[in-house]
Amino acid sequence: MTTLNELMLLLQAGFVQRAFIIGLIVAVLSSILSVFIVLKRVSLIGDGLSHTAFGGLALGYYLDIVPLWVAAVVVVLGSLGITRAIRSTRISSDAAVAVFLQLGLSSGIVLISLARGFGISIESLLFGSILLVNLDQIIIASVILVGVLGVIFLFYKELVYTTFSETQARASGVQTWFFDYLVAILAGVVVIAAIPIVGVLLISALLVLPALTSIQIGKSFKQTIIMSPIFGIASAFLGLFVSLIFDIASGATIVLMAMAIFVAVLGAKRVSAR
Amino acid sequence: MDLNLGANQPIVELENVRVDYPGGVQAIDKVNLEIFEKDLIGLIGPNGAGKSTLLGVILGLIKPNHGSVRLFGEALKPKNLRLIGYVPQKAQLIDTSFPATVDETVLLGRVPGAGLFHRLNKEDHLRAEEAMKILGIDGLKERRIGQLSGGQFQRVFIAKAIVDKPKLLILDEPTTGVDSLSKSEFYHTLSHLNRDLGITILLSSHDIGIVTKLANKIACINRTLYFCGPTSEFETSSALSKLYDYPAGLMTHDHP
Repeated sequence: MTTLNELMLLLQAGFVQRAFIIGLIVAVLSSILSVFIVLKRVSLIGDGLSHTAFGGLALGYYLDIVPLWVAAVVVVLGSLGITRAIRSTRISSDAAVAVFLQLGLSSGIVLISLARGFGISIESLLFGSILLVNLDQIIIASVILVGVLGVIFLFYKELVYTTFSETQARASGVQTWFFDYLVAILAGVVVIAAIPIVGVLLISALLVLPALTSIQIGKSFKQTIIMSPIFGIASAFLGLFVSLIFDIASGATIVLMAMAIFVAVLGAKRVSAR
Repeated sequence: MDLNLGANQPIVELENVRVDYPGGVQAIDKVNLEIFEKDLIGLIGPNGAGKSTLLGVILGLIKPNHGSVRLFGEALKPKNLRLIGYVPQKAQLIDTSFPATVDETVLLGRVPGAGLFHRLNKEDHLRAEEAMKILGIDGLKERRIGQLSGGQFQRVFIAKAIVDKPKLLILDEPTTGVDSLSKSEFYHTLSHLNRDLGITILLSSHDIGIVTKLANKIACINRTLYFCGPTSEFETSSALSKLYDYPAGLMTHDHP
């Protein structure tokens, strides 16, 4: 365990400060988007997309071109495919997501084994390495943050209506297909931004838990979407602190913290309802 | 919006409409229907007769396999759909755990009319306030919709459907699961919307007794539309007995 003095020293270290900054960015991105994803009942979409991204990253390393860009292209194509499958009435949406998840994961593993590892650890792809984040990644993530929030701001009322009821929105002339695809593409972009930080396995949790928590106690949609990033940021910061103190895996600790906050809020709600 | 409709031009015209279920069974067939301004039409028929399918065709939710749909004298397109307010069946309204308040829900009815890239403004809030007053739910506007009674819940969705001043209001089985007191209040509200605000109304129901008291026209469907005319004609026609006389096989509850 790290002593208080050591912790204070750690907090002054550049790599720790960068970790907090990127944690903040990823938390805000994923938790705002999570409100739409959870309420649209496509919570597994993060899982499907992050595993598709894993396949994309592996392909990038295999082809020896900028892996993140290859992964980005693969994920955007994946989000289009998943949305198309979800909107189709012939396949159930959870099965559609499962297929993409399995395809991404298995093709990624095959590509990695073909190239005997590329000198990159599967572990860092799966679990992320928030303490190794560099300035470039922070800049990319900031640009993505501004872009994603900007798009949500532009189409806010249509996104809310489509999330509220696809049928009712469509019956009143809203082009709901566009907004279904838009949410999936935004989720894909967020997944790409988040993978170096929390990794493939954990980004999907961050695309669900903050919203799940805020939906419990939000008195309105507005409150819900404001509280979600607060829970997201709290999870990221507390998770980072705890992982530094106990010297344990950061990404997984952040997700466990988000889980703990969800359980605590659920418990508090039960108690106050009595 | 200027509609340029002659006094006698229908606002909804269905011509020879057919909808097939996957597998080829016909949900509705040879449906011809005209709805005129200020009509209050009751669409009646047994469960599984195609009532919801017919409404879905008018709302652009279901594409007919054959035949044509015209709204307000034009082919069906998003712009025309904005002139229709829609209240789905209760079961399909929405998940009650959705974290929206009453006024947030009613305001959603203003979204399509406001247009892309425009934020909802004061005018939209005033209209929402008005619609909530008409439905008598203005005292509940801060409430989360999951905390409402069945009758209140429904009023919220009707307020949402009329908040953009539609020309036509479509309600699918609006009284299912609503207690009888709320039901009579509800019908009172509908005739107010129709007579005083001039909103054309099409509602489906299997509650024939009340629908015939309320509606000035009746349309009877059982796969095909076999009666459509003034309520007085319906009451003296053979359509009523036909409605009760359908073969037992058609009584199944397999909605589309």
